[in-house]
Parts: sequence; C-alpha cells; structure tokens
Amino acid sequence: MIADILTGAVRSGTSVMLASQGELISERAGVINLGTEGSMLAGALGGFAVTVWTGNPWLGALAGGGCGLLLSLLHAVLVVGFGANQLATGLAIMFFGIGLTSFFGRDFVSSQIVGFNPVPIPLLSDIPFVGGILFNHDPLTYLSVLLVPAIWYLLFRTRLGIMVRTAGEREDVLFASGLNPRLIRACAVLAGGFLAGLGGAQLSIAYTHSWVENMTAGRGVVAVALVIFASWKPQRAMLGAYLFGAAQALQLTVQQQGWAISPFFLFMFPYLLTLAALLLVERRKLSRTPEALGRVLAGDPGG
Amino acid sequence: MSLNPSPSVAAPAGARSAAAKRLLSWLRQLLVLAIPFALFGLFLLAYGVDPLELYGSMLVSTFGDLYGFGEVLLKATPFVLTGLAAALPAKAGLVNVGGEGQLAVGALFAAWFGVFYLGGLPAWIGIPAMLLAGALGGALWGLAIALLKVKGRLNETITSVLLNYVAVFLVGFFVHGPLKDPESFNWPFSPEIAPTLRLPIFDGTRLHVGFVIAAAIAAIVWFVLARTRLGYRIRVLGSNRLAAERAGMRIGRMYFWVLIAAGAIAGIAGMIEIAGIEGRLRATTGANFGYLGFLAAMMAWNHPLRLLLTAFVLGMISVAGNTLEIGSGLPASAVTILMGLVLFFILGGKRRRG
Amino acid sequence: MERENLLTEPLLSVRGLTKRFGSLTANRSIDLDVRKGSIHAILGENGAGKSTLMKMLYGVYKPDEGSVEIDGRPAELHPPAKARAQGVGMVFQDFRVVPALTVLDNIALAVEKGWGLRRRQLRRRIVDVSAKYGLAVDPDASVWELDLGQRQRLEIVKVLLMPGTRIIIFDEPTSVLVPQEVGAFLDMLRRLREDGYGILLITHKINEVLAVADEATVLRSGEIVFRAGQGEELAGERLIAAMMGDKTLKAVSRTAGGPDEAPAAMAVRGASIRGDHGELALEAFDLDLPAGRITGVAGISGSGQRELAEALFGLRPLASGTLEIGGKPMKPGVRSFIEAGVTLVSEDPVKESVVPGFTILEHMALDGYPLYPKGLGVDWSRLRAELTASPEAAALSVAAPDRRAETLSGGNIQRMVLARALIRRPGILIVSYPSRGLDIGTAYTVQRQLLEAAAQGAAVLLLSEDLDELFKLSDRLVVLAGKRLLGPYRPEEIDQAGIGRLMLKGESA
Repeated sequence: MIADILTGAVRSGTSVMLASQGELISERAGVINLGTEGSMLAGALGGFAVTVWTGNPWLGALAGGGCGLLLSLLHAVLVVGFGANQLATGLAIMFFGIGLTSFFGRDFVSSQIVGFNPVPIPLLSDIPFVGGILFNHDPLTYLSVLLVPAIWYLLFRTRLGIMVRTAGEREDVLFASGLNPRLIRACAVLAGGFLAGLGGAQLSIAYTHSWVENMTAGRGVVAVALVIFASWKPQRAMLGAYLFGAAQALQLTVQQQGWAISPFFLFMFPYLLTLAALLLVERRKLSRTPEALGRVLAGDPGG
Repeated sequence: MSLNPSPSVAAPAGARSAAAKRLLSWLRQLLVLAIPFALFGLFLLAYGVDPLELYGSMLVSTFGDLYGFGEVLLKATPFVLTGLAAALPAKAGLVNVGGEGQLAVGALFAAWFGVFYLGGLPAWIGIPAMLLAGALGGALWGLAIALLKVKGRLNETITSVLLNYVAVFLVGFFVHGPLKDPESFNWPFSPEIAPTLRLPIFDGTRLHVGFVIAAAIAAIVWFVLARTRLGYRIRVLGSNRLAAERAGMRIGRMYFWVLIAAGAIAGIAGMIEIAGIEGRLRATTGANFGYLGFLAAMMAWNHPLRLLLTAFVLGMISVAGNTLEIGSGLPASAVTILMGLVLFFILGGKRRRG
Repeated sequence: MERENLLTEPLLSVRGLTKRFGSLTANRSIDLDVRKGSIHAILGENGAGKSTLMKMLYGVYKPDEGSVEIDGRPAELHPPAKARAQGVGMVFQDFRVVPALTVLDNIALAVEKGWGLRRRQLRRRIVDVSAKYGLAVDPDASVWELDLGQRQRLEIVKVLLMPGTRIIIFDEPTSVLVPQEVGAFLDMLRRLREDGYGILLITHKINEVLAVADEATVLRSGEIVFRAGQGEELAGERLIAAMMGDKTLKAVSRTAGGPDEAPAAMAVRGASIRGDHGELALEAFDLDLPAGRITGVAGISGSGQRELAEALFGLRPLASGTLEIGGKPMKPGVRSFIEAGVTLVSEDPVKESVVPGFTILEHMALDGYPLYPKGLGVDWSRLRAELTASPEAAALSVAAPDRRAETLSGGNIQRMVLARALIRRPGILIVSYPSRGLDIGTAYTVQRQLLEAAAQGAAVLLLSEDLDELFKLSDRLVVLAGKRLLGPYRPEEIDQAGIGRLMLKGESA
C-alpha cells in the first residue's frame, strides 16, 4: 500500500513538479505567475489534441509546452511590458485558460489516445519496493527528474542563471551591466509557461490519457504555492510536488482499501496540505524571498 | 474619481482642465472596455456568428422588456456582491479572489440554516436570519484567509484560490451527505427551503429583492470608503502600506477585518442565490460567480458604485451567453474568452499606480 | 608631488561639456583631462555639479554640448555600455551589487560575457587582483554579509576585472569608509596610478586631494572655478576658498544648550535591535533623550541608524532591554509611541510617507496627526485651517494643500514631512537626514526649526551623515559603530577626528 502511494506520488506529482520548476524560474526572475494554471490547461489540451492528430506523444508533449508558452506570453506582455499587477494578471490568464480550453476542448472530450505509457527500466525496476516506485514510469517523468538538477545548474552555476536571479533581486544592477532586465524576466516567464504546458501535457497524455474540462483542478496554483514552500530551490520544489502527488494518490488507495472516508475530504486534502506546508515554511521565516518578488507578495505597488 | 474626499476648491481655469482630464480618462477607460468586444466580434465572425447581431440582440433582450431587464439584474446581483468582496480588499491593497469559495460557503450556511432551523419562522424574521447565516458562512471562510494572512503571513491571493477549491469540495461533501435531500433519488442537492424564506419577487419578472440588497451594500461600502475615517485609513493602507504603518495604523487588524467583511459580503451573495433563485443548495450553486465578481471589480477600477454598472454589463453578457448557446450552438464558455480579453485590456491599460 | 608624467598625453579629454535640466544648467562648458598614470581630483560642495559631470563621463547622461576624446579620438560615451567598452570604469557610491548573490556571482554578472561561466578561472582572477591591490574580498561570501568597506572593494575588483579598463572614476569613495580605512584606500589609489590607470577622484575632502592628487579641478554651481596641478600648486587654502566662493548665507549655530542634564524624555536601557534579516543591528546600549536637547547620532551609514530610528518609534520591537517614555515603560507598536508624543521623519519620505493619489492636505492627517472627526467622516476644513495658519509650514514653504503629493519633487516632499512633524509640536522628535536633498538655504531653515523645537522643550534625536551638521546642532553626540552605541559625548569635548576614531571602534573585521 505504501508502495502504491509512493508510486502514485511520482505519477500524479510529475505534472505539478514540471509546472513548479517552470514557475521557480519565473519567480527567481521576480515574476509570480498564477496563470501557470492556465498554461497547464492549455498544455494539457494542446498536447492531447496534437497526440490525437499525429498519434505521436512526443509531438504532443512539445505542442503542450508550446501552448503553455503562448499563454505565458500574455503574462509576460502584460506584466513585464505594461507593468500590470502580477497577481491579478495571473488570475485573468487562469480564467482565460479555463474558458479557452473548455471552448476548444469540446471535441476532444471523448477522444482516445495511446500516449505515453510506463517504460520499466531494465534491472532497476526489478529491485523490490524501490524498483516499482522509481523505475517504472513514463518517459516524461524520467525527463522531469533529470530536469531538476539541470535547472539547479542553470540557475546557480551559469551566468545566465545569475542574470535570471539578478532580475528577481535588483534590476538596476542588470541595467548597469548593459543587460535588459525586462527581456530576461519575459524569457523566464516564457520558460515557466513552457514547463507548465509540458506538465499539463504529461497529465493528459501520460497520466490520464484523456482530456477532461478543467482537468488540472488547481494544480497550477498548487505549483505556484509549492515554489514558495520550496524557498525557490528546485530540489525542494520537487519534493513538494511529490508530496502533493502522494496526497492525490491517497484517494485511490483509500478507495481500494474501502475505508469509510468521504472522498470529498480526500479531494480537499492535497490543497490543505499545500496550505499547511506554506504555513510551516513561513513560520520559520528563514528563506530569502527574491527582493522583487517580495514586493509583489507584500502587495507593494508596481510591476 | 469621487473617492477623493478633498474639498477641492480649485481655480476655474484649473477646474476646466481638470474636467478635460477627467473626460479623457473616462474615454480612455471606455476604449479599454470597447476593444475586447471588438476582438471578440472577430472571434465570433470566425465561427460564423454575426457579432453585431449578437450584441444587438443582447441590448434588445436587456432593454426590450421588463422581463429581460429583470433577468440581467438577476444575473448581475451576485456579481455586485462578489465584486465588492474583491474591490473592498483591493482598496486596502489586497488581491482577494476568495469570493468564489466564500459565496459557496455562504450558500452552504444559508441552506443549512434554511432547511433545518428557519423553516417555521415568518418571512420577516426568517429571511434576515438566513441572510446572517450566509454572511456568517462567508465571513468564516474569509476568516481563514485573514488568519493565514495576518498570523501566518501568507499571501492572500494564493491562499484564497487554494481555499476556493476546498470550499467547492466542502459543499460537495454536504450535498452528497448531511444535507442531501432524502427524496432526491440520489441527486446531489439539498432539500428545498420553506416558501416563507424565498425572497419577494417583483411582478412581471423573476427579479427578487436581492438586487436591492446588493445595491444597498454597494452604497454602504462606497460611503465607508469615500466618506469615513475608517475608509480614509483603508485607502492610505491600500496606497502605501509603509505610510500607514508609520501613521500608527494597526495594519494587521485592518487586513483582518477587511478580509472578513469581504467574506461576509460574498456569503450574502450565496444566501441570495439560495433564497432568491435556486431554493436549494447544489454542488454547482454560484460556480464561477466569485471569479466573475473579481472581473467586475477590476472593470470598475474597484469603485463600489461603478461596480453596479460593470456587474450589469457582465449580467448582460451572461444572459447573452445563454442566447449564444441556444441561438448559434457556440458553448457558453465562449463568453469566458470575452471576459478574459476584457481583463487583459484592463490590466494592460491600467497605470502603474491607481 | 614631483611626477613627470604630468606631461603625458591625456587618456580622456573633454571640452565644453554642458548639461541642462530644464532651466537649470547643471554643468557649463567643462574642460577636463585625465592622464595616464595620474590622479585627477574633482572637488566641490554638494550640489556643485560633480555628480552630473561624472554621470556624463560614465555615459549615464548624454551631454547637451561639448566633445569627448579618448586617446585623441572623438568618442561617444552614452549609454554606459559604450563608456565601459572604451575603458571607462566607475566605482559608485551606492554600490551596484546584488546582496543576495555571492561576490563571485556579482563579478561574473558584470565582467563576463555570454551565458556560461568558468567559475574556477574567474575565482583565480579575483584572487589575483585582490592580492595585487590589497583588496581583500572572499569570492564565495554573499554580498549582504559584507560591510560597506568590503562592498567597495568588491566594486573596485569588478571595475578592474572589466576588460580594457583604463580610466576609473571614484565617486566619493571615502564616504563609506571609517577614517582609519582611508589610508589603505589611498595607498591602493597610488598603486593603481603606478600601474598606469587614469583616475578621476570625486570628493569634497581636501586632505585626500592633497595626499594623492596630481591635478585638481574645483566645481562650483556647475562651472569650473579653479584648477591646480598644471603649473598651479596644490594648496589647501586655495582649494577651500574656491569651493566655498563668497558664501553669504548665515550659518546656523547653537545658542543655548547648557551643560546641565535635563530630565530624559525617553530612556532606553540594555536594548538590542535586530535588522531586517534577524541579525543583531545594535547590541545592549543605553540611550537617554533629554527634553530640550538635540542628541546627534554619528556613524558610517548602514551602522544601524535606520534600525535605531525605527525602534525608538516603535516600528521595530526591541530584541531585549527596556524603553521608557516619561518614566513609563512603552507598549510595542507605533500607535502607543505616537500617543506618547514621539514623531519620526524617516530617511526615505518619498517611499515611506507619500500616499499616491492623496493631496498634501490628506497627507497632513497621517503620521499620528489627529484625524478630526465630523460625523463619521473627517473635518478637512479644520485641518486645512491649521495647515495654512502654521508658521512651520510657511517657513518651510510647503506646497499648496490641494497639490497631489506624488507630483512633487523629493525636496518638496521632505519639506512637507518635516512641516508635518513640526506642526505637531512633538515631545520627542526623531529626524533622519533632515537636510538631504535640500538646497543650502532650506537646509538652514530646517536646522533653525530643529533648534527651535528643542528650545520649546522637545527631545530631538538627529541622525545625520554630515558631521558638520551634527556638530553645529547637537548638545550631545552618540556614535554608532560595530553594533554598539557609544557616548554620549559633548561636542565641546570631542572633535571630528575623535568621532571618526569612534566610528572605527569595533570595526575589526
């Protein structure tokens, strides 16, 4: 049973994990994007549709990322270009994504695809207990795990990463170095949108193999919350996402075990867990919020 | 903007240029609202729907007869209240989207009290009691956001969205469980409330007095913000938190009560949905009304009286959404696209500080 | 001072440089040469146009008239990237660094190119340059952990590592240093000169100029009024005379202020204050603010001035210790401090006091000023009457009550905030940097108002970076250094050098 929950944690946590890694890049550059929810939905539908049309889930995944990127382009333009309120703009993009996908998704509700399926890694997947949890997943999941150290390296060991982090701290310093902070922020938002879209695509073409209206059900918002929980560290965001996934997986396990817990409480649980995790981190208050982001979260005026 | 209480006795020349400036800013704001409608028209054209005809029929069905007008007001009522639930905190510098969940919990409380406790009471006491129950429910949900904000120092936007999901599941739990109508043949909804608890209806329409309640609350919120010492403090806080802190205002306490008041107002919207229209609680009661209210507030630049107008426009669009679905086969979600466009233009057209 | 390279060709040469802001001419026909292996000092009082000139040379401003030559070839310096590409580097007074990043990250951002980063190679270059010029910085330390001197060294390393740097502009470099660090800094300048850099040193400290400069140019009101070094001898008195000009403004001086210790309006005992990141900013200090006296606070900026001011206004809780006003212990929170008659003029009024969209009149009701009731609303006409009748507002020429504050200049806002604080006739007045951003005339008015407030019995705490101002106004002086509060000292018993030694105390890092 524990193995089931842990396997489920990775399986249903991957979409959130991808989205949170993307959001982490964006927030490191000083932009919070609640539109991540919309980008995930767009990615889920776009990825699903392309997989239906081409039968190729890799193209689907790419298209999903592209759709997520397109929605985040709106965020970049409004927030970075026009200096609009980040939180409100993110919400608008979330609504827009919900409307757009339910409009264009009508025809795909009953479509079926093969999509991505778990590919057990030879030998490793045979290890008792651990093998099933870690080494029997779809290709996007493996990819997403590799992505975490890659993003860490990018952010903390390259000059590009320094540029991104400086955009989230002191844009005048970037300016003084002859770099364009707006451009860097916009690119970070777009990268975030791409990964959110990829996460959405993972949900529809690798996890559920279907398209359902509003199927992300707040995973994008959770991804945003997890980044804060993770104190803007990629490894911790991964952990948080799997925790959320485990809370989701609990639903299935409880149903299988036939325990008398209302499913509605199980549905609530992941969101409450996310809130609790946020509260826990905030209590200790040792994390260093990127300065530009801190101003947004505290509600100070300005983009 | 009339929210500015300064008794400005400017020179005539200054007044004229000020009037011109005001006119310009109005025009600019109108334009910001008009462009998305034009864009959505193009979108409609692409789907073979004549936008002029649609917008025309929207106007005709709204202003053509009393019934149509009543329908729009009916739709607009919850938007006014959930809009206030966003606008009031916005004036204090908060981005609260909790209206969605607060409305749901308000509806839950109203239905709960209506079904179990208030059924035997006469209308004059039952309806206000039910209204209070709704307000209480919304306020409790607002309390959660307020506590997380003030005690837990968590950003209210993120917590309010997360709690919206929780609220929907909470209502789901009740209509599938303790509040389920025993005679419903397993459909998830509550029993119907007593007829005495239904809001009185205006003749010739489906419109109930809920709209009057909503308008009155909007007027009260406007008065408090624009004309009272409390409102002055809220506006200082919303404009510059540091200045408010240095003026000795109790910021945490103000955030706390503003969020709870917003919750109570959205909760009343939930009660009105139950007592005015549905008569019973469903899992879908008031779905998306909180988000639409947020939109209405943004369209009104968070001004409580202008909110009446923007909620009305959104009411028109919602009614038109139905016509769209019936008349041309486009799903109602097409309207969400329009609303998204409107939001983007407002956000993009807004000056940095306002 | 006998250096033969005074005859070398200039690296940088400007002719007729002029910059106007609206009707104000900030720089008028400036001619200037910076030579290879030489130090050229630009002297002038605050507001003389030094910073405008330097910003033109670094490419921040585009000159309205005039020409620039580098190595005898016409050059365009605007924007800063162009100036850098031609070898002009600048060490700013307010450092252009990211506190959250490490020293190495900050340097990588500024001096490297491309997206990748060869950390090991860069670290070696940093270590080499630091060793060569005695600029000790730890490449892996986060910048927020560094003190101001270390941050300045980081800035200098950054400029030196930029490819092709030949001309270095230093903007008031010693203002962030304690007097005892200045010697090492000047040694470093000499070493840079030996290595052939052309150095432009912007300062208002004559002793430094006499110690290291080969040439000096004095600016006053945007024009060059004196040159020395090229034929003319560098002499202190002549430089001072040139800087001051024929200043006729009546300087302010203390009139009263007897030796007797007045009763303390505010008494702090054994107090510690934490900074923004939870670190201790000030440790275990005692402080009395006697009624009718001005207590000056000296210290290198960033030594806990902001934390102290905020704690004495209740904005920042004491980490330990007690604070009493009028003999009564204070409850935490700004409100009770305001009720006890404390008022604060913060160091950044534009950020901390201006409410966008509000008029001057509406601003007057903030800062603990009573919000006169009228029904549920506010009695604005009463407040307006008080504002217009107030001598303080008149003396400080506060803008019209119906002006929107965010349309005003920084100096105007400073005056509004000061007037608001003074109109209240506070029992305890905490003022941070009162004359910052004000012209000399207004600064004197403000200083007179502060003396007046003290004469009427207010206990004044004056935080300032200007030692002259502190000595002129204070009855007692305390010094912030190394997380400690030293003193009080009587200005008659200690001189500026003595205060400087104290500022260094505890700075053993």
